[in-house]
Order: sequence, then C-alpha cells, then structure tokens
Amino acid sequence: MGPRVLQLTPTLSPYPGERAADVPAVLAAGIGLRAQHHAEILANRPAVGWFEAHSENYFGAGGIHRAQLARIRSQYPLSLHGVGLSIGSMDPLNTDHLRQLKRLVREFDPVLVSEHLSWSSVDGRYLNDLLPLPYTEEALRHTAARIVDVQDALGRQILIENISSYLKFECTEVTEWEFFTALVRESGCAILLDINNLYVNSMNHGFDAHRYLDGISPAAVQEFHLAGHTLTRCGGRDVRIDTHSTYVASEVWQLYGAALQRFGPRPTLIEWDADIPALFVLQAEAAKADAMMEQFRAIAA
Amino acid sequence: MLSLPELQARFASSVFGDTREPSTPWIRAAGIAPELRLGIYRNNLREGFTKTLALEFPVIQRLVGADYFRQLALSFLARHPSRSGDLHHIGGPFAAFLREQFAGTTYEYFAEVAALEWAWQECLVAEDDEALDPKALQAMPPHGYARLQFALRKAVRLLQSAFPIGRIWEVNQPGVTAAEIIDLASGPEFVLVHRLTAGPRATRLSAGEFALLSTLARSEPLEAALDAAVSSEPHFDLAVSLRRSFELGIFSRLCFSSDT
Repeated sequence: MGPRVLQLTPTLSPYPGERAADVPAVLAAGIGLRAQHHAEILANRPAVGWFEAHSENYFGAGGIHRAQLARIRSQYPLSLHGVGLSIGSMDPLNTDHLRQLKRLVREFDPVLVSEHLSWSSVDGRYLNDLLPLPYTEEALRHTAARIVDVQDALGRQILIENISSYLKFECTEVTEWEFFTALVRESGCAILLDINNLYVNSMNHGFDAHRYLDGISPAAVQEFHLAGHTLTRCGGRDVRIDTHSTYVASEVWQLYGAALQRFGPRPTLIEWDADIPALFVLQAEAAKADAMMEQFRAIAA
Repeated sequence: MLSLPELQARFASSVFGDTREPSTPWIRAAGIAPELRLGIYRNNLREGFTKTLALEFPVIQRLVGADYFRQLALSFLARHPSRSGDLHHIGGPFAAFLREQFAGTTYEYFAEVAALEWAWQECLVAEDDEALDPKALQAMPPHGYARLQFALRKAVRLLQSAFPIGRIWEVNQPGVTAAEIIDLASGPEFVLVHRLTAGPRATRLSAGEFALLSTLARSEPLEAALDAAVSSEPHFDLAVSLRRSFELGIFSRLCFSSDT
C-alpha cells in the first residue's frame, strides 16, 4: 500500500506565487526519518503518509544517505525540519547554513519546511540546543524579522515550532500563545504545534494547555508533532524533559485529541530521535494518530 | 531588564561554564533554583556533544572506554565548541586536539586513529562523482603515459602513520571479536579511505601505492608518481597498482599534463 494523501488544505503562505502555497499538506500521520530506517523503507515501501527529515542530517554534499533520501522523496511526500538555523539568536543569520537549507529545499521540493522558535548560538559559538526566548517586544521584532529573511531567502512560507523549555525569563511580558499569534501576524509564518512540547511546558511551568490551544488561531496551525518525553527530578520537583526517546505519553495523546477538536486534522508527525526503535514501532504510533484523525474527519463530515 | 543580546550572552556563558553567576535574577525560580534549571541545559549541551563525538569516533571511544571518552569530549568541548548549527562538524579539530593532549606519551597513536575516523566521516558525505572507466586509460596512447594526470574522486582520503592505524581500526570495528595484540612499533602504515556504494571503507595500501596515489593527488604526472612509488618500494609494480586503483574506483578523471 502506498502513502495516503487524503485531503487538501490550503496554506496561508505570504508567497502565493510560490510552490508552497499550492501544495497540499499531507493529512495523515508521518514518521521522523532516521538513516537506520532508509534501507527498510526503500525495500518494503511501508504505508506511511509522509516522512520528515532533519535538514542538517542531509547538508553533506553527497553520499549514500542523501541518495537514499532522494529515492524516498520520489515515493513519499517529504517535510524538512531544521534544528540549527538559530532563528531567535542575536548572531547574524548564518548565511552558509541558510544556503545549505536552500539547496536542500530546491533539490527535495518538500511539502513543508519548519524551524523552531528558539536560538542556539552567541558570537558564533553554538550550543546546538533549542533554547528558549523571552516573550518580549524586542524578541518579537527580532524573530519576526529573521523569519521574514528566511522566508524571502527560501521563497516560501516556513512553519515555526514551539519548543520544550525548562526555565522562564523574568522579562517575559506575554504568554507563548500570545507571542506566537503576534509572530504569525508579523512574519506570515505558520505554526508547527508540538503537542508533546506543549504538554511538557504546561506541566513544567504550570499553565493550562487548553488555554494555549484556545489562544492559537486554527488557520495558523499547519502541522502537529507528537513525541515521547521522560520524567526527572530537579530541585526536589518533577521536570519533564523532551527526549524523543520513547512512546507518546497517554496525556499527550489526550491533548492531541483536544488539538484535533480545536484545529481539525493536520499533518501529524511521530518523532523518535534517541533510542530509536524498529520502524514498525513508529508505524504503530503513526497508526494511532491516523485513527484519531479519522475520527475527527468523520465528525467534521 | 536584560536586553535580548545580554540575556543570550549570559545564558550561553553560564551553560558553557565560562562564568558561574552569583545570582540569576533574570530567570524565574518558580520552585526550582535557576542554577538547577540552567543545569538541565548544561547537561543537554554536554550529552549532545559527547554523543555526537562518540558517533563520529567510535574506535577512539572503544580504545579509551566510554567514561574516559566522556572526559575527553568535555575537555574538547571547552576548547573547541561547535561553530555550526550542524553538529556533524564538531569532529574536525578532534585529531589535532588529541595530538596535543597525548604528545610525548605512548598514546600518540590516538590522534592518528582519530584522523582516520574523521577521513571516514568526510568520505561518508563527500560529493558524488563517477568512477573513471579503465577503458579511458586504454584509450590513451602508451607513449604518453608518463605525462598522464589522474584526478582522485572526492570521497578519497590518503593517510600515513608511523603507527599501525589501519589494523587498529580494523580490529576495533563492531562485530570484530578476535583478540589480536598489535605491536605499536609495527608501523608505518598507509591507509586509503574511500566510498563504495554501501558506504566508506578503509583499505591498507603498500608504501609504493600510497606514494603513487598521494603524488597523483597533488596533480603531478604519472612519471613523478612512479618515481615516488619506486623510491619508497623498490619492487613496486605499476600495472598491478593501477589495476587495483581502478577496481577500487579511486580516479574520477585523467588527462595529459600540459607542462611537459
């Protein structure tokens, strides 16, 4: 059975003439692509709606992984998800990184391109982590301008993902959902709503995740992420860490249900990036997401 | 209130451990001390860096053990933090770092094994190009062979070491369990790292083969390469060596040098 492309959703691209605006998003569950699964995917062509690759994993000039990605792309819709562009950093935009991303986008023609609402470098020294921003007017202006620069360079709309965070800044002025709403308005980006990150943050920072969902405009949300997290103790308290190393937690599935109710079905990715299991485990998680989307499609119909 | 540049600079310097801030009033405690909250990010940085470095240098990790490798990785991080949003680049200066770290000790070979592993990583993602068909050589007039120049493919690296780095690398591959005592004084060794369809491979070369290929890699003509090969290996057989190089798919182009 081949990949399913179930329904078209128009995107809100500020680049109407560009390909991104006309591309149907894939309204099915997809799987985060890892190199150890390449050969199996190509040999068995599993029924997976789409794959999402970490852009930086394919920045190399050539080689087997890139060649396999090209073959996978010829059989499945592909999304490119960046972890290193450091959009929120005060460092100048890394033009080399952006050039590599542009090359990848041109070559693989992805249905979606996403980055994170985060920063990761100071003075060219990288932490290679997704670090939180303070939600201030200054950060909004800076980040929105950077997103516009990236979208202009790529000639298409990008999606920006909410991250998990383990601290909040005193100077933060607004909630994350208010910040996101303003960011979408200012930059024309769309939102990749990571349900696991939202759950993790609601528990770590003590807010109502449903208020967050209510605060985001359905039209802005173009993709969901689902992943596993782990629980640790820090300073005598529970802290949830976004590890992408295990099954999606039942509370996250519940919140996904609430998100489907609020936003409707959206391309939904199963992410598992550490202690990576066999492909069939990821397919089973994706099947759960597909079944939940199916229910909401039935309700909508 | 901290400006965004100040906030990012203080956050990064605290996570990298450049400074230990006496207080962090810019972070909300909310039940957990800010220093502990920053500690989560410090741990992420160290774990992510160590894990990536271990993936790039599995033989070094196997030689020194996971615990000591972690210590090495953290000293390396302090000296050579990532300079790219693509974490894959961190291993570039690792061999030089090990060379400095172990200079004058019996572990000088670590740096040379690390250079081999980095060559393997470079070959993994080097640009794709076609292997030269041996017929291209047959099509050349034999009297002009001396002036032939061979271009090596992008995914080809040549290494020489006073230590037996090729054998050290071979016996430390996953799945190799045969116990073999390698005499560190049994070098020198010459190693070719190149890419086949399935991925990179390390192959040991003779002194003559290494001299031939490394001379050709400098765009010198075949005559100079043969001289270099014969002077390092008196019974060097050019025909055998060229045939093997073609079989391994080392060359991408050949042409006549214009300056002779």
